[in-house]
Amino acid sequence: MTNPNKPVKAARYGMAIDIDRCTGCGACMVACAVENNVPPAHAGANDRKGITWIRVYKVDNGGDGDGRRSAFVPVLCQQCGNETPCVHVCPQQAVDVDPATGIVGQMPERCLGCRYCMAACPYHARYFNWWDPAWPAGMEKTFNPDVAPRMRGVVEKCNFCHGRWHAARQQATAEGKPDTEPVAYLPACAEACPTQAISFGDLNDEAGVTAAAARGRDSFRLLEKLDTDPKIHYISKREWVRRIADAPRPGDGKESRRG
Amino acid sequence: MTTTRRNLFKLTGGAAVGAMLTPAPWRLITDSALWSENWPGIPRPRRGEVTFQFGNCSLCPAGCAVRARCVANQPVSLAGVAAHPLSHGALCAFGIAGHHLPYHPGRLKSGPAAEANQAVRAALGQLRGAERCAVLDLRPGRTASWTYRRAMAAIRNGVYLAPAAPIAINLAAAKTVFSLGAPLFDGWGTPGNVIAARDHFRLIQAEPVESRTAIMADLWLPIRPGSEEALALGIANLLLKEKKIAGLPAGFADRLREFPPTMAAMHSGIGEQQIAALARELQDNGPVLVLGENGSPYAAALNLILGAPGRTLVLRREAPVPDDWKKAAPVADLASVPDGSIRVLLIDESATGEALPWSAIQSKLAEKAVVVTFAWSKEGYGRQAAFTLPTAVYPESLDDIPPAVDSPAAAFRLSAAWVAPPDGVVNPADFVAGLAGLAAKDALQERAAAIRKSGRGSLFVPSSATSTPARDVKPDDFWKMLQAGATWIDDLDANAPAPKLDVPALPAGTASSAFPLVVVVTEPDTPALVSPLLSKVYQESNLRLAPESVALHPSDARACGLETGSRARLETDCGSVAVNVTVDSDVPPGVVQVAGGPGIRKICGASSRARVVRS
Repeated sequence: MTNPNKPVKAARYGMAIDIDRCTGCGACMVACAVENNVPPAHAGANDRKGITWIRVYKVDNGGDGDGRRSAFVPVLCQQCGNETPCVHVCPQQAVDVDPATGIVGQMPERCLGCRYCMAACPYHARYFNWWDPAWPAGMEKTFNPDVAPRMRGVVEKCNFCHGRWHAARQQATAEGKPDTEPVAYLPACAEACPTQAISFGDLNDEAGVTAAAARGRDSFRLLEKLDTDPKIHYISKREWVRRIADAPRPGDGKESRRG
Repeated sequence: MTTTRRNLFKLTGGAAVGAMLTPAPWRLITDSALWSENWPGIPRPRRGEVTFQFGNCSLCPAGCAVRARCVANQPVSLAGVAAHPLSHGALCAFGIAGHHLPYHPGRLKSGPAAEANQAVRAALGQLRGAERCAVLDLRPGRTASWTYRRAMAAIRNGVYLAPAAPIAINLAAAKTVFSLGAPLFDGWGTPGNVIAARDHFRLIQAEPVESRTAIMADLWLPIRPGSEEALALGIANLLLKEKKIAGLPAGFADRLREFPPTMAAMHSGIGEQQIAALARELQDNGPVLVLGENGSPYAAALNLILGAPGRTLVLRREAPVPDDWKKAAPVADLASVPDGSIRVLLIDESATGEALPWSAIQSKLAEKAVVVTFAWSKEGYGRQAAFTLPTAVYPESLDDIPPAVDSPAAAFRLSAAWVAPPDGVVNPADFVAGLAGLAAKDALQERAAAIRKSGRGSLFVPSSATSTPARDVKPDDFWKMLQAGATWIDDLDANAPAPKLDVPALPAGTASSAFPLVVVVTEPDTPALVSPLLSKVYQESNLRLAPESVALHPSDARACGLETGSRARLETDCGSVAVNVTVDSDVPPGVVQVAGGPGIRKICGASSRARVVRS
């Protein structure tokens, strides 16, 4: 926890995700689940009731045949910086925005499971534990000790691998660095991405790769019109991809079950 | 009523008992989680010293380098090794969760090893005439493969069977890659190597569905299902107008005449002008690499015509082996074995590789044949074999991983062995060596010594991210470093001749009203077991088709009486397998899109047509 009495050089951690490099392999989704002790699917889970802190969606330009083009868009908590919707609706104060990092934190211990935050989130990036988490016998040996598993009846979501942030913070302290300075670390999804489509860093660090990518001409954010100031920036040279970020095509009744 | 001490005690006691009947105290106990994070029933992570270990993933032939974060020596997360010269830091979704496999509920932990040994020895003692004892190795090129070959040389009528090794590909040399449906960005070769080379070549993908590779391509040609052959022959027609090529198989000229560019355009749905432009581009923008389904004669023919051998297709030396190993049985093809001649068949499917249809194997078996398979689960040939013996899963055993198809140089690296295997597992190489009376326990170390002795190549050490000439490493250190995750990479042979590219015989036309659907594989081959966490990409997001699943266009699904969630059987001329059905309007009509699970791989190997029947 950051000491509130010390002057802190606030970080604004964020991502720049290059959609044109994303192959939709799903490595980020699996790495995230491994890192954060997310349980495997319950038999009754589906794409609405599953828990995927980062989810890769397949989107298309609406064309048919020769004119059809698709892309993969990884969507995770957008870490809204302005009027964060989930923070405002939580009756338990189980969600907050850390002023030192800009990360929207979720405290499952406080969550009473009302799911107002899920209804408020415009990005569908929050997930509810519909069932008791269960792992095959012995698999609990592979748990990440930095993250506590959650119970049935609470909401959870991406926190930019807070366990890794803590580890980086401790490492910096051990090296004698001031605890008021932002630390560099990588969330599991960014580390796992085989095409390096996900860049993570402090958006306040103007010289940083992530901040530069986020400022680029082809950069955009999801539902920017809502003015929630998301910290996930997407990059694509394709105009149709940039367009869908702001005005998603309503369901066209296709019988598609994937993506 | 007077307030006495007795009444006060009564009130207090009554209140305490009454409170126990309300939810309040129980709720308080549950809420203690607020401070302890200790929910009843939720397992707690173990604590311990955090260390990092290096190794190589053996889930597929890519053999990507892995760094494991271990807590109390138990791997808790896996990541790639950024500076690795072969895998370039990439690790696929299967590899990232590979450390869960020892705890997979479907893995085999014990089997009838003694009974299998007895049955095999009895059958070997009763071999008649030309009856054979054969080992079928699904991932040839390993040190274990050499053990099998040595053992088969020592056993009467021993035969070593393995799928033909593909010619090595130098992707970095390619300027244009023309892919006839090859999954270049989804499980082909070494993922990190493909990504590293991507910026240097133009990718043209001809495929009926918009696969992941098609999405990443510079140009996607959405051809009609099953028209890869027509398109390839149309292009070959145009290319052969300008030059003559030797080495094309008999019948190729006849087939060429059947598919002039006009006919190719009609079949593939690609305009004649576009085919001509494509042929020009392939001619002018070389070196070119043409990729197709494994063993595709059309891709091989185009490679030959476009001069790929020696440029993008290269001859790769094998990693050295001790001299006394060379008296080994030759590598034979299953097709070369007479029907009904194999009395003892030992199948090593513990290392995922190319699968052969069971129908092709079955025809080779003699009467009363004994079939033993070494596997992680019952899902593969275990359904047909008399004995299924469990083997160690990744990351439980030390084994070497032969170089992937896109590695132009030989390589030697060891799989990770970070978790102790259960007592009941069998080492297939030791089992087979035992039949022949060979001592093969130290085979890996002997081979490492032979490699070090050759003085060739360099050793990449992941912990320091440095490469050292192998001759500069002390012999003892060489073995220790390999065990600690180092990779030996051979020098490229500058004087190597161009590989001889055999164009396989052209298959007969497979169109049949019995099998009306064209099979399109859009998911990578999955290992025999995958982490339960892969549910994130299957069941919980529908990002990928799960193993043993198929997707159909709504019109085809209706015709078959199927809907999403139906159980059905996928049938080809090689057999049938139970599958789950997904209805998806993204799948073109006339196509059955399949995900490569152990069952599907065995029936779709030699067939490109299928039908789906409700079960």
